[in-house]
Amino acid sequence: MSDTTLRTRLGLDRIQTRHFVLAVRIAAGSAIAIFALSTPGFTSPLSINALLNAISFIGCVAVGMTFITMTGNIMSLCLGATVSASALIFLASLSLGIIPAFLAAILFGVVITGLQGAIVGYFRANPILVSIAGLSLLIGGAAFATGGQRIYPGGEGLQVFKGRLFGIPVEAIYFFATVIVGQLILSWTRIGREMTMVGSNPRAANAAGIDTASAITVAYLLAGACSAVSGVLLAARYGSGDMELGTGYDYTAIAAVLVGGTAIQGGSGSVFRTFIGVTVIAIIEVVLLLRGFSQQLQYLITGVIVLVVIMLHTIGERR
Amino acid sequence: MTAVLTHLLKPSLRPFTVLAGAVIVLALIDRGTGYFFSLGTVFSVMQLFATFGLVALGLGLSILVREFDLSVAGIVGLAGCIAVMTGVENPWLGALFGVAAGVASGTLQGLIMTRLGLSSVGVTLGGLLTLQGITYVLTENKTIGYPNVAVSLELNAPIAHLLSVRSAVVLAVFAATALVMHYTHLGRDVIATGSDRRASRIAGLNTDRVVVGVFAMSGASAALAGVLLSYSLGAASPIALADVLAPAAAAAIVGGVSVVGGRGTAMGIAAGVLTLCILRSGLSAIGVEPYVHDLVTGGILFAIAILDAPDLARRITAWRLDRQERRARASAGQP
Repeated sequence: MSDTTLRTRLGLDRIQTRHFVLAVRIAAGSAIAIFALSTPGFTSPLSINALLNAISFIGCVAVGMTFITMTGNIMSLCLGATVSASALIFLASLSLGIIPAFLAAILFGVVITGLQGAIVGYFRANPILVSIAGLSLLIGGAAFATGGQRIYPGGEGLQVFKGRLFGIPVEAIYFFATVIVGQLILSWTRIGREMTMVGSNPRAANAAGIDTASAITVAYLLAGACSAVSGVLLAARYGSGDMELGTGYDYTAIAAVLVGGTAIQGGSGSVFRTFIGVTVIAIIEVVLLLRGFSQQLQYLITGVIVLVVIMLHTIGERR
Repeated sequence: MTAVLTHLLKPSLRPFTVLAGAVIVLALIDRGTGYFFSLGTVFSVMQLFATFGLVALGLGLSILVREFDLSVAGIVGLAGCIAVMTGVENPWLGALFGVAAGVASGTLQGLIMTRLGLSSVGVTLGGLLTLQGITYVLTENKTIGYPNVAVSLELNAPIAHLLSVRSAVVLAVFAATALVMHYTHLGRDVIATGSDRRASRIAGLNTDRVVVGVFAMSGASAALAGVLLSYSLGAASPIALADVLAPAAAAAIVGGVSVVGGRGTAMGIAAGVLTLCILRSGLSAIGVEPYVHDLVTGGILFAIAILDAPDLARRITAWRLDRQERRARASAGQP
């Protein structure tokens, strides 16, 4: 929008900018690593487990958000509510067995978010407004269905989604799987490439014969599936659920996407970057906790760091 | 009939049509029992209006210049806490500090965006998290009580059974904004910046200054909302106010602010906020379960999102042509 980007302010040319950005990233990365490793107790199994748990729930939502951001649709304010609602679906349908319950939750997330994606994709409706509408309907629908009560599991088998496997929290394994599958879809499938193209230039993508509407719909659909995975993991972890379960996850997820370096205007980014973003935020939080900062200072420092990182990422961008 | 309807659904009139529609539908459901058409309902609608109105106004102004100020949610909380903590002796001073914090945060974010050429969603998301952090630090993560009860009572004191001092202040701010937007070059500059920023800049308008100004105004407006709310509740807490963003954005867009920028008025935003408030208070006044309000609001938002979508007409035409063609082919196939 403005021609005065930080790049021109610093008087750097394109290649210098690339080197500068790389230098900043390496410096920031090593600063975080030194900061973390020099913190007593950071490498203890307890804190590593806490870290893995912290990134798993929010990480799945952030991977989903990446797809939406990549297609140029900024963010969805509805993913947090989708997490909660699919957790409720999962818990309520547990009486059918663990696998049907899991599938029901995923299907629910896919349908609810996919419908919003279809409206955004086919009619080019405003994504933020559509997500607020979805949020309203989900909250209303859930209150109607549950009467505002907590939902408790209707069956057995929750331990599939919690506990440990080979010493690693199971939640983290599901999260890593989500990251890998997400990255594979984004960079190795045709629809994934199409999503990236739609995000970088919707008009050109359309002219090139890409069905932009279905690419956007699929991006939302995947976001719904990822949010539902997070919902299932949360439901298993807490053993019960209500609509508060995923509150605020939308904002944390988009913060992780941006800290990872995916461009807010779409077309440039990856699931792996989001993974880095989630991890960086979680490491900062764990380190601040271990170093004895109060909860309030943790919020403040994390907020400032997110702001600074988002600003740094855009140095190399041309607008 | 259709001509009248098309006219009423024109973007400039639609917020008022939707508002009238909501009132009529609620009146029909109410059918003269008098719960909906009571002074009490009007008063409670206006109290809700005072809570969300200024946040929607601030956010709406930022959407008007084609940006999106997520930080309003953080400013509401921060300004409320600052006012409650500094305004025990002199509430005016507390309000001044609260609003000043809003102006400062809006200006700073506006400067970061325009000077470094960054997008508003990223910067204001960072701003939102930072502002929330500051609020947590200031309040030490506790609810802060406001011992000056006289101020709380004063703000909620009814005027002519319809308004409170608080809602009257909010209405006055809306009226002032509408006058400025309509009659001064400032309003014209904002609309121009939102419609086509590059063309406005070429025409000699300092669009960066307009954007910074809009964000300062957005911060001030959200801050005033937070100050008034915290004073009237007699308390401020860092988390209680986090859920204002979605209703505010919904109200601004129901109020006819176009998400592609350059279209929208202060009075339209007021109508949008009123519509959502009337739905909430009105539905509960006639004894409907609270979830109905969420469902109805969601339905209206979906309808507006689809009606406003640029590709709606193209899709409908394409489907219609497709069907006609298929029908023609089918009838040609018959002997």
